[in-house]
Amino acid sequence: MIFLTHRDTENHLKSSLNFLLFCILFLFAGSTYSKSLKIGIVEYPPHLIFQNNQVSGKLFDYINSVLSPLNYDVEIIRLPNGRGVLELKKGNIDMLIPYDDVTEDIDTLASPLFHPVPGLCFKKENFIPILSATHRFKELTVGVPLGAPIVAALKNSEAILFEIKGDDAISRGIALTQIGRIDAFYHPSPAQVYHQENKAYKELACSYFHGYSNGVFIAVSPFMKHKDFQVVDARLKEAMAVMTYSYYFAK
Amino acid sequence: MTFIFKSQPLINQRGGDKAVLFGDDFINNIKVTYRAKYGEEFPELSHFLKKMLLQAMVEVMEDNRVLFNDDEIGFKGIIPAIFAAQLAAKLSTKGVGLKIKFTRTKDDIRNVMNLPDEWEEMVMQKVINKPAVYFDNNGMLDGNPAYRQFTPLPMAAYCLKCHGSMEHNPLNFGKDKSQWTNIDMTGFEMENWTISDFGGGVSLSIEKSVLE
Repeated sequence: MIFLTHRDTENHLKSSLNFLLFCILFLFAGSTYSKSLKIGIVEYPPHLIFQNNQVSGKLFDYINSVLSPLNYDVEIIRLPNGRGVLELKKGNIDMLIPYDDVTEDIDTLASPLFHPVPGLCFKKENFIPILSATHRFKELTVGVPLGAPIVAALKNSEAILFEIKGDDAISRGIALTQIGRIDAFYHPSPAQVYHQENKAYKELACSYFHGYSNGVFIAVSPFMKHKDFQVVDARLKEAMAVMTYSYYFAK
Repeated sequence: MTFIFKSQPLINQRGGDKAVLFGDDFINNIKVTYRAKYGEEFPELSHFLKKMLLQAMVEVMEDNRVLFNDDEIGFKGIIPAIFAAQLAAKLSTKGVGLKIKFTRTKDDIRNVMNLPDEWEEMVMQKVINKPAVYFDNNGMLDGNPAYRQFTPLPMAAYCLKCHGSMEHNPLNFGKDKSQWTNIDMTGFEMENWTISDFGGGVSLSIEKSVLE
Protein backbone atom coordinates (compact mmCIF):
# COMPACT_ATOMS: atom_id res chain seq x y z
CA MET A 1 0.00 0.00 0.00
CA ILE A 2 1.31 3.50 -0.82
CA PHE A 3 0.52 6.48 1.39
CA LEU A 4 0.67 9.85 -0.29
CA THR A 5 1.72 12.92 1.74
CA HIS A 6 0.30 16.37 0.92
CA ARG A 7 3.53 17.15 -0.98
CA ASP A 8 3.28 13.91 -2.92
CA THR A 9 -0.29 14.76 -3.84
CA GLU A 10 0.78 18.23 -5.02
CA ASN A 11 3.59 16.77 -7.13
CA HIS A 12 1.27 14.13 -8.51
CA LEU A 13 -1.24 16.81 -9.45
CA LYS A 14 1.48 18.90 -11.09
CA SER A 15 2.76 15.97 -13.12
CA SER A 16 -0.79 15.08 -14.15
CA LEU A 17 -1.39 18.63 -15.32
CA ASN A 18 1.90 18.60 -17.23
CA PHE A 19 0.91 15.32 -18.83
CA LEU A 20 -2.49 16.74 -19.73
CA LEU A 21 -0.85 19.84 -21.22
CA PHE A 22 1.55 17.61 -23.18
CA CYS A 23 -1.38 15.59 -24.51
CA ILE A 24 -3.27 18.73 -25.59
CA LEU A 25 -0.20 20.15 -27.32
CA PHE A 26 0.50 16.81 -28.96
CA LEU A 27 -3.07 16.51 -30.21
CA PHE A 28 -3.05 20.10 -31.40
CA ALA A 29 0.22 19.54 -33.22
CA GLY A 30 -1.22 16.40 -34.78
CA SER A 31 -4.23 18.27 -36.07
CA THR A 32 -2.18 20.92 -37.93
CA TYR A 33 -1.66 20.29 -41.67
CA SER A 34 1.84 19.00 -42.20
CA LYS A 35 3.07 19.80 -45.76
CA SER A 36 5.57 17.11 -46.41
CA LEU A 37 5.74 14.43 -49.08
CA LYS A 38 7.94 11.37 -49.35
CA ILE A 39 8.33 10.47 -52.99
CA GLY A 40 9.79 7.14 -54.00
CA ILE A 41 11.50 7.12 -57.37
CA VAL A 42 12.41 4.10 -59.45
CA GLU A 43 14.89 4.48 -62.31
CA TYR A 44 13.09 4.68 -65.67
CA PRO A 45 15.48 5.79 -68.41
CA PRO A 46 15.52 8.05 -70.28
CA HIS A 47 12.88 9.83 -68.17
CA LEU A 48 14.39 9.19 -64.72
CA ILE A 49 18.07 8.38 -64.37
CA PHE A 50 20.10 7.57 -61.24
CA GLN A 51 23.65 8.86 -61.52
CA ASN A 52 26.20 9.77 -58.83
CA ASN A 53 23.62 9.29 -56.07
CA GLN A 54 21.34 11.82 -57.74
CA VAL A 55 18.09 11.58 -59.67
CA SER A 56 18.01 13.37 -62.99
CA GLY A 57 15.95 13.29 -66.17
CA LYS A 58 13.19 15.33 -67.70
CA LEU A 59 10.45 13.61 -65.70
CA PHE A 60 12.20 14.59 -62.49
CA ASP A 61 12.42 18.21 -63.67
CA TYR A 62 8.77 18.19 -64.71
CA ILE A 63 7.57 16.79 -61.38
CA ASN A 64 9.68 19.39 -59.55
CA SER A 65 8.06 22.16 -61.54
CA VAL A 66 4.60 20.70 -60.88
CA LEU A 67 5.11 20.41 -57.12
CA SER A 68 7.17 23.50 -56.35
CA PRO A 69 4.21 25.96 -56.29
CA LEU A 70 2.61 23.79 -53.61
CA ASN A 71 5.49 24.44 -51.16
CA TYR A 72 5.73 20.90 -49.89
CA ASP A 73 8.73 19.75 -47.95
CA VAL A 74 9.66 16.96 -50.40
CA GLU A 75 11.90 14.04 -49.56
CA ILE A 76 13.11 12.00 -52.54
CA ILE A 77 13.86 8.34 -51.91
CA ARG A 78 15.57 6.33 -54.64
CA LEU A 79 14.28 2.77 -54.79
CA PRO A 80 15.28 -0.33 -56.71
CA ASN A 81 12.79 -1.91 -59.13
CA GLY A 82 10.18 -3.90 -57.29
CA ARG A 83 10.65 -2.17 -53.91
CA GLY A 84 8.53 0.85 -54.78
CA VAL A 85 5.14 -0.80 -54.51
CA LEU A 86 6.08 -2.52 -51.23
CA GLU A 87 7.16 0.77 -49.65
CA LEU A 88 4.01 2.43 -50.96
CA LYS A 89 1.75 -0.24 -49.46
CA LYS A 90 3.53 0.03 -46.10
CA GLY A 91 3.04 3.79 -46.12
CA ASN A 92 6.79 4.48 -46.01
CA ILE A 93 6.37 6.73 -49.05
CA ASP A 94 3.40 8.87 -50.11
CA MET A 95 3.90 8.62 -53.85
CA LEU A 96 5.78 6.41 -56.28
CA ILE A 97 7.07 7.60 -59.65
CA PRO A 98 6.68 6.08 -62.16
CA TYR A 99 4.06 3.35 -61.90
CA ASP A 100 2.99 1.26 -64.89
CA ASP A 101 1.92 -2.11 -63.53
CA VAL A 102 -1.62 -2.64 -64.76
CA THR A 103 -1.94 -5.90 -62.81
CA GLU A 104 -1.58 -4.36 -59.31
CA ASP A 105 -4.52 -2.75 -57.53
CA ILE A 106 -2.84 0.53 -56.61
CA ASP A 107 -4.38 4.00 -56.52
CA THR A 108 -2.86 6.61 -58.79
CA LEU A 109 -3.24 10.28 -59.58
CA ALA A 110 -5.84 10.66 -62.32
CA SER A 111 -3.65 11.99 -65.13
CA PRO A 112 -1.24 9.57 -66.77
CA LEU A 113 2.23 11.09 -67.19
CA PHE A 114 2.83 9.48 -70.56
CA HIS A 115 2.06 6.35 -72.57
CA PRO A 116 4.98 4.06 -73.37
CA VAL A 117 4.46 1.91 -76.43
CA PRO A 118 5.53 -1.75 -76.40
CA GLY A 119 7.69 -3.04 -79.19
CA LEU A 120 10.23 -5.49 -80.51
CA CYS A 121 14.00 -5.16 -80.39
CA PHE A 122 16.03 -6.74 -83.18
CA LYS A 123 19.64 -7.00 -84.17
CA LYS A 124 20.05 -4.11 -86.54
CA GLU A 125 20.58 -6.28 -89.60
CA ASN A 126 17.21 -7.97 -88.95
CA PHE A 127 15.30 -4.77 -88.13
CA ILE A 128 11.58 -4.67 -89.01
CA PRO A 129 10.55 -0.99 -88.92
CA ILE A 130 6.78 -1.38 -89.31
CA LEU A 131 5.24 -3.85 -86.89
CA SER A 132 1.79 -3.76 -88.46
CA ALA A 133 3.46 -5.96 -91.11
CA THR A 134 2.82 -8.95 -88.85
CA HIS A 135 3.25 -11.43 -91.70
CA ARG A 136 6.97 -10.72 -91.33
CA PHE A 137 6.93 -12.36 -87.88
CA LYS A 138 6.29 -15.77 -89.43
CA GLU A 139 8.65 -18.28 -87.83
CA LEU A 140 10.59 -15.61 -85.97
CA THR A 141 11.49 -16.65 -82.45
CA VAL A 142 10.49 -13.80 -80.19
CA GLY A 143 11.47 -13.75 -76.53
CA VAL A 144 8.78 -12.50 -74.15
CA PRO A 145 9.13 -11.92 -70.39
CA LEU A 146 7.00 -14.51 -68.60
CA GLY A 147 3.70 -12.98 -67.50
CA ALA A 148 4.10 -9.78 -69.51
CA PRO A 149 0.90 -8.71 -71.26
CA ILE A 150 1.51 -9.30 -74.97
CA VAL A 151 -0.17 -7.16 -77.62
CA ALA A 152 -2.73 -8.88 -79.84
CA ALA A 153 -0.75 -8.15 -83.01
CA LEU A 154 2.10 -10.33 -81.76
CA LYS A 155 -0.05 -12.93 -80.00
CA ASN A 156 -2.12 -13.52 -83.15
CA SER A 157 0.88 -13.62 -85.47
CA GLU A 158 2.83 -16.67 -86.56
CA ALA A 159 5.82 -15.76 -84.43
CA ILE A 160 7.19 -18.46 -82.13
CA LEU A 161 6.94 -17.00 -78.63
CA PHE A 162 9.72 -18.03 -76.28
CA GLU A 163 9.00 -17.27 -72.63
CA ILE A 164 11.86 -15.98 -70.53
CA LYS A 165 11.55 -16.42 -66.77
CA GLY A 166 13.07 -14.52 -63.88
CA ASP A 167 13.38 -10.97 -62.57
CA ASP A 168 16.05 -10.18 -65.15
CA ALA A 169 13.97 -11.48 -68.09
CA ILE A 170 14.31 -8.23 -69.99
CA SER A 171 18.09 -8.04 -69.81
CA ARG A 172 18.38 -11.75 -70.60
CA GLY A 173 16.05 -11.35 -73.55
CA ILE A 174 18.13 -8.52 -74.88
CA ALA A 175 21.31 -10.56 -74.39
CA LEU A 176 19.78 -13.56 -76.23
CA THR A 177 18.84 -11.28 -79.11
CA GLN A 178 22.33 -9.84 -79.28
CA ILE A 179 23.96 -13.26 -79.53
CA GLY A 180 21.38 -14.40 -82.08
CA ARG A 181 19.72 -17.13 -79.98
CA ILE A 182 16.36 -15.45 -80.61
CA ASP A 183 15.32 -13.21 -83.50
CA ALA A 184 13.68 -10.47 -81.46
CA PHE A 185 12.71 -9.55 -77.97
CA TYR A 186 9.37 -8.15 -76.81
CA HIS A 187 9.86 -5.15 -74.56
CA PRO A 188 6.95 -3.42 -72.76
CA SER A 189 8.72 -0.09 -73.28
CA PRO A 190 11.71 -0.30 -75.63
CA ALA A 191 12.35 3.43 -75.22
CA GLN A 192 13.87 2.50 -71.86
CA VAL A 193 16.71 0.64 -73.53
CA TYR A 194 16.78 1.97 -77.09
CA HIS A 195 18.15 5.43 -76.44
CA GLN A 196 21.37 7.15 -77.31
CA GLU A 197 22.88 7.06 -73.82
CA ASN A 198 22.63 3.28 -73.64
CA LYS A 199 25.89 2.00 -75.07
CA ALA A 200 24.99 -1.59 -74.16
CA TYR A 201 22.39 -1.80 -76.91
CA LYS A 202 24.40 -0.53 -79.84
CA GLU A 203 23.76 -3.72 -81.81
CA LEU A 204 19.98 -3.48 -81.42
CA ALA A 205 17.20 -1.36 -82.80
CA CYS A 206 13.61 -1.36 -81.64
CA SER A 207 10.31 -0.62 -83.33
CA TYR A 208 6.90 -0.11 -81.80
CA PHE A 209 3.37 -1.50 -81.70
CA HIS A 210 1.68 1.88 -82.03
CA GLY A 211 -1.90 1.87 -80.83
CA TYR A 212 -1.16 -0.51 -77.95
CA SER A 213 -0.07 1.61 -75.04
CA ASN A 214 -0.77 1.78 -71.32
CA GLY A 215 -0.40 4.82 -69.13
CA VAL A 216 2.46 5.52 -66.75
CA PHE A 217 1.13 7.13 -63.57
CA ILE A 218 2.12 8.48 -60.20
CA ALA A 219 1.00 5.88 -57.66
CA VAL A 220 -0.19 6.99 -54.24
CA SER A 221 -0.05 5.28 -50.87
CA PRO A 222 -3.30 4.08 -49.28
CA PHE A 223 -2.14 6.08 -46.24
CA MET A 224 -1.66 9.36 -48.12
CA LYS A 225 -3.74 12.17 -46.61
CA HIS A 226 -6.84 12.80 -48.70
CA LYS A 227 -6.18 16.54 -48.70
CA ASP A 228 -2.65 15.99 -50.06
CA PHE A 229 -4.01 13.68 -52.72
CA GLN A 230 -6.56 16.26 -53.85
CA VAL A 231 -4.05 19.11 -53.91
CA VAL A 232 -1.39 17.19 -55.86
CA ASP A 233 -3.90 15.59 -58.23
CA ALA A 234 -5.44 18.97 -59.09
CA ARG A 235 -2.00 20.54 -59.56
CA LEU A 236 -0.87 17.78 -61.94
CA LYS A 237 -4.07 18.14 -63.99
CA GLU A 238 -3.52 21.88 -64.17
CA ALA A 239 0.11 21.46 -65.26
CA MET A 240 -0.78 18.84 -67.88
CA ALA A 241 -3.41 21.16 -69.36
CA VAL A 242 -0.73 23.80 -69.88
CA MET A 243 1.90 21.39 -71.19
CA THR A 244 1.81 17.59 -71.16
CA TYR A 245 4.88 15.79 -69.92
CA SER A 246 5.27 14.12 -73.32
CA TYR A 247 5.50 17.51 -74.99
CA TYR A 248 7.86 18.80 -72.30
CA PHE A 249 10.04 15.77 -72.99
CA ALA A 250 9.87 16.35 -76.76
CA LYS A 251 10.67 20.06 -76.66
CA MET B 1 2.00 14.57 -94.18
CA THR B 2 3.49 16.67 -96.99
CA PHE B 3 6.44 17.62 -94.82
CA ILE B 4 6.97 14.00 -93.79
CA PHE B 5 6.94 12.98 -97.43
CA LYS B 6 9.38 15.75 -98.40
CA SER B 7 11.64 14.79 -95.50
CA GLN B 8 12.01 11.12 -96.46
CA PRO B 9 15.60 11.54 -97.73
CA LEU B 10 16.60 13.31 -94.51
CA ILE B 11 14.74 10.83 -92.28
CA ASN B 12 16.39 7.84 -93.97
CA GLN B 13 19.87 9.24 -94.50
CA ARG B 14 22.68 7.90 -92.33
CA GLY B 15 24.22 10.66 -90.28
CA GLY B 16 23.83 14.40 -90.63
CA ASP B 17 21.98 17.03 -88.69
CA LYS B 18 18.29 16.18 -88.36
CA ALA B 19 17.31 18.98 -85.96
CA VAL B 20 14.62 20.25 -88.36
CA LEU B 21 12.60 17.14 -87.57
CA PHE B 22 12.17 17.92 -83.89
CA GLY B 23 10.63 20.38 -81.46
CA ASP B 24 10.03 23.99 -82.46
CA ASP B 25 12.03 23.55 -85.68
CA PHE B 26 9.58 20.87 -86.74
CA ILE B 27 6.59 23.13 -86.03
CA ASN B 28 8.19 25.95 -88.04
CA ASN B 29 8.67 23.57 -90.96
CA ILE B 30 5.03 22.47 -90.76
CA LYS B 31 3.99 26.12 -90.94
CA VAL B 32 6.28 26.86 -93.90
CA THR B 33 4.98 23.78 -95.73
CA TYR B 34 1.37 24.82 -95.05
CA ARG B 35 1.96 28.35 -96.37
CA ALA B 36 3.62 27.00 -99.51
CA LYS B 37 0.88 24.44 -100.15
CA TYR B 38 -2.23 26.51 -99.40
CA GLY B 39 -0.97 30.04 -100.05
CA GLU B 40 -2.26 31.32 -96.72
CA GLU B 41 -1.01 31.83 -93.19
CA PHE B 42 -0.96 28.87 -90.84
CA PRO B 43 -4.15 28.93 -88.71
CA GLU B 44 -3.98 30.68 -85.32
CA LEU B 45 -3.65 28.23 -82.44
CA SER B 46 -6.79 29.68 -80.91
CA HIS B 47 -8.21 26.45 -79.48
CA PHE B 48 -6.47 23.95 -77.23
CA LEU B 49 -7.27 21.15 -79.72
CA LYS B 50 -5.14 22.84 -82.37
CA LYS B 51 -2.29 23.21 -79.88
CA MET B 52 -2.75 19.61 -78.80
CA LEU B 53 -2.59 18.43 -82.40
CA LEU B 54 0.70 20.23 -83.05
CA GLN B 55 2.12 19.02 -79.73
CA ALA B 56 1.17 15.45 -80.60
CA MET B 57 3.02 15.76 -83.92
CA VAL B 58 6.14 16.94 -82.11
CA GLU B 59 5.81 14.07 -79.64
CA VAL B 60 5.55 11.53 -82.48
CA MET B 61 8.74 12.87 -84.03
CA GLU B 62 10.48 12.75 -80.65
CA ASP B 63 9.36 9.14 -80.17
CA ASN B 64 11.29 8.36 -83.35
CA ARG B 65 14.38 10.44 -82.60
CA VAL B 66 16.62 7.51 -81.69
CA LEU B 67 15.61 5.65 -84.83
CA PHE B 68 16.12 8.74 -87.04
CA ASN B 69 19.61 9.14 -85.60
CA ASP B 70 20.49 5.46 -85.83
CA ASP B 71 23.16 5.59 -88.53
CA GLU B 72 23.22 1.83 -89.00
CA ILE B 73 19.64 1.71 -90.26
CA GLY B 74 18.72 3.05 -93.67
CA PHE B 75 14.98 2.86 -94.24
CA LYS B 76 13.36 3.98 -90.98
CA GLY B 77 9.75 3.19 -91.94
CA ILE B 78 8.35 6.61 -90.98
CA ILE B 79 6.47 7.23 -94.20
CA PRO B 80 3.41 9.57 -94.25
CA ALA B 81 0.91 6.76 -93.58
CA ILE B 82 2.92 5.48 -90.63
CA PHE B 83 3.32 9.00 -89.27
CA ALA B 84 -0.46 9.44 -89.52
CA ALA B 85 -1.05 6.12 -87.74
CA GLN B 86 1.37 7.08 -84.96
CA LEU B 87 -0.27 10.48 -84.63
CA ALA B 88 -3.71 8.86 -84.39
CA ALA B 89 -2.46 6.48 -81.70
CA LYS B 90 -0.86 9.36 -79.80
CA LEU B 91 -4.04 11.44 -79.88
CA SER B 92 -6.12 8.52 -78.67
CA THR B 93 -4.09 8.44 -75.44
CA LYS B 94 -4.82 12.06 -74.68
CA GLY B 95 -8.56 11.74 -74.17
CA VAL B 96 -9.26 15.15 -75.68
CA GLY B 97 -12.20 14.15 -77.88
CA LEU B 98 -10.25 14.38 -81.12
CA LYS B 99 -9.67 11.39 -83.37
CA ILE B 100 -7.78 11.19 -86.62
CA LYS B 101 -7.58 8.08 -88.75
CA PHE B 102 -5.95 7.44 -92.10
CA THR B 103 -8.23 4.75 -93.52
CA ARG B 104 -9.46 2.97 -96.61
CA THR B 105 -12.11 0.40 -97.52
CA LYS B 106 -11.75 -2.57 -95.18
CA ASP B 107 -10.83 -5.20 -97.75
CA ASP B 108 -7.66 -3.29 -98.68
CA ILE B 109 -6.38 -2.12 -95.33
CA ARG B 110 -2.82 -2.96 -94.29
CA ASN B 111 -2.91 -1.99 -90.62
CA VAL B 112 -5.86 -3.40 -88.69
CA MET B 113 -5.64 -0.41 -86.33
CA ASN B 114 -6.83 1.71 -89.27
CA LEU B 115 -9.90 -0.38 -90.12
CA PRO B 116 -12.85 1.90 -90.96
CA ASP B 117 -15.80 2.07 -88.59
CA GLU B 118 -19.40 1.88 -89.84
CA TRP B 119 -19.62 5.62 -90.54
CA GLU B 120 -16.33 5.69 -92.45
CA GLU B 121 -17.30 2.63 -94.48
CA MET B 122 -20.65 4.23 -95.37
CA VAL B 123 -19.02 7.53 -96.37
CA MET B 124 -16.37 5.84 -98.51
CA GLN B 125 -19.02 3.96 -100.43
CA LYS B 126 -20.59 7.34 -101.20
CA VAL B 127 -17.42 9.13 -102.32
CA ILE B 128 -15.34 6.30 -103.76
CA ASN B 129 -16.34 7.04 -107.36
CA LYS B 130 -16.61 10.80 -106.98
CA PRO B 131 -14.14 11.90 -104.31
CA ALA B 132 -15.32 14.91 -102.29
CA VAL B 133 -15.04 16.07 -98.70
CA TYR B 134 -17.91 14.66 -96.65
CA PHE B 135 -19.02 16.51 -93.51
CA ASP B 136 -21.45 15.17 -90.92
CA ASN B 137 -22.92 17.53 -88.35
CA ASN B 138 -24.65 14.70 -86.52
CA GLY B 139 -21.97 12.05 -86.16
CA MET B 140 -20.99 10.10 -83.06
CA LEU B 141 -17.59 9.41 -81.52
CA ASP B 142 -17.25 6.86 -78.71
CA GLY B 143 -20.96 7.22 -78.01
CA ASN B 144 -20.85 11.02 -77.90
CA PRO B 145 -22.25 13.51 -80.44
CA ALA B 146 -19.47 14.61 -82.75
CA TYR B 147 -18.61 16.50 -85.89
CA ARG B 148 -17.12 14.13 -88.42
CA GLN B 149 -15.37 14.76 -91.69
CA PHE B 150 -13.88 12.47 -94.29
CA THR B 151 -11.38 13.97 -96.72
CA PRO B 152 -10.45 11.69 -99.63
CA LEU B 153 -6.77 11.64 -100.51
CA PRO B 154 -5.95 11.65 -104.21
CA MET B 155 -3.59 8.88 -105.23
CA ALA B 156 -0.19 10.41 -105.90
CA ALA B 157 2.88 9.07 -107.64
CA TYR B 158 4.65 8.53 -104.30
CA CYS B 159 1.74 6.36 -103.05
CA LEU B 160 2.42 3.95 -105.90
CA LYS B 161 5.96 3.29 -104.69
CA CYS B 162 4.35 0.97 -102.14
CA HIS B 163 0.79 0.44 -103.37
CA GLY B 164 1.41 0.35 -107.13
CA SER B 165 2.91 -2.42 -109.20
CA MET B 166 6.43 -3.79 -109.42
CA GLU B 167 7.69 -1.13 -111.85
CA HIS B 168 6.92 1.53 -109.21
CA ASN B 169 8.83 -0.23 -106.46
CA PRO B 170 12.12 1.60 -105.75
CA LEU B 171 13.61 -1.71 -104.62
CA ASN B 172 13.38 -2.85 -108.23
CA PHE B 173 14.99 0.21 -109.79
CA GLY B 174 18.03 -0.68 -111.87
CA LYS B 175 17.41 -4.43 -111.57
CA ASP B 176 16.57 -6.95 -114.25
CA LYS B 177 12.82 -7.73 -114.42
CA SER B 178 13.52 -11.33 -113.41
CA GLN B 179 14.75 -10.02 -110.05
CA TRP B 180 11.84 -7.70 -109.34
CA THR B 181 9.86 -8.13 -106.17
CA ASN B 182 6.26 -7.28 -105.38
CA ILE B 183 7.14 -6.72 -101.72
CA ASP B 184 7.51 -3.00 -101.04
CA MET B 185 10.08 -1.32 -98.84
CA THR B 186 7.77 -1.55 -95.79
CA GLY B 187 7.49 -5.32 -96.13
CA PHE B 188 3.95 -5.51 -97.54
CA GLU B 189 2.81 -7.04 -100.80
CA MET B 190 2.06 -4.33 -103.36
CA GLU B 191 -1.61 -3.89 -104.31
CA ASN B 192 -1.20 -3.01 -108.03
CA TRP B 193 -3.21 0.18 -107.63
CA THR B 194 -3.04 2.84 -110.33
CA ILE B 195 -3.08 6.62 -110.15
CA SER B 196 -6.84 6.64 -110.81
CA ASP B 197 -7.68 4.32 -107.89
CA PHE B 198 -9.30 5.49 -104.67
CA GLY B 199 -6.55 6.50 -102.21
CA GLY B 200 -8.52 6.27 -98.99
CA GLY B 201 -8.70 9.36 -96.86
CA VAL B 202 -8.36 11.12 -93.56
CA SER B 203 -11.23 10.71 -91.13
CA LEU B 204 -11.45 13.48 -88.54
CA SER B 205 -13.85 13.41 -85.59
CA ILE B 206 -14.28 16.01 -82.85
CA GLU B 207 -16.67 15.57 -79.96
CA LYS B 208 -19.13 18.48 -79.91
CA SER B 209 -18.68 19.02 -76.18
CA VAL B 210 -15.03 19.91 -76.80
CA LEU B 211 -15.98 22.83 -79.04
CA GLU B 212 -18.86 24.14 -76.92
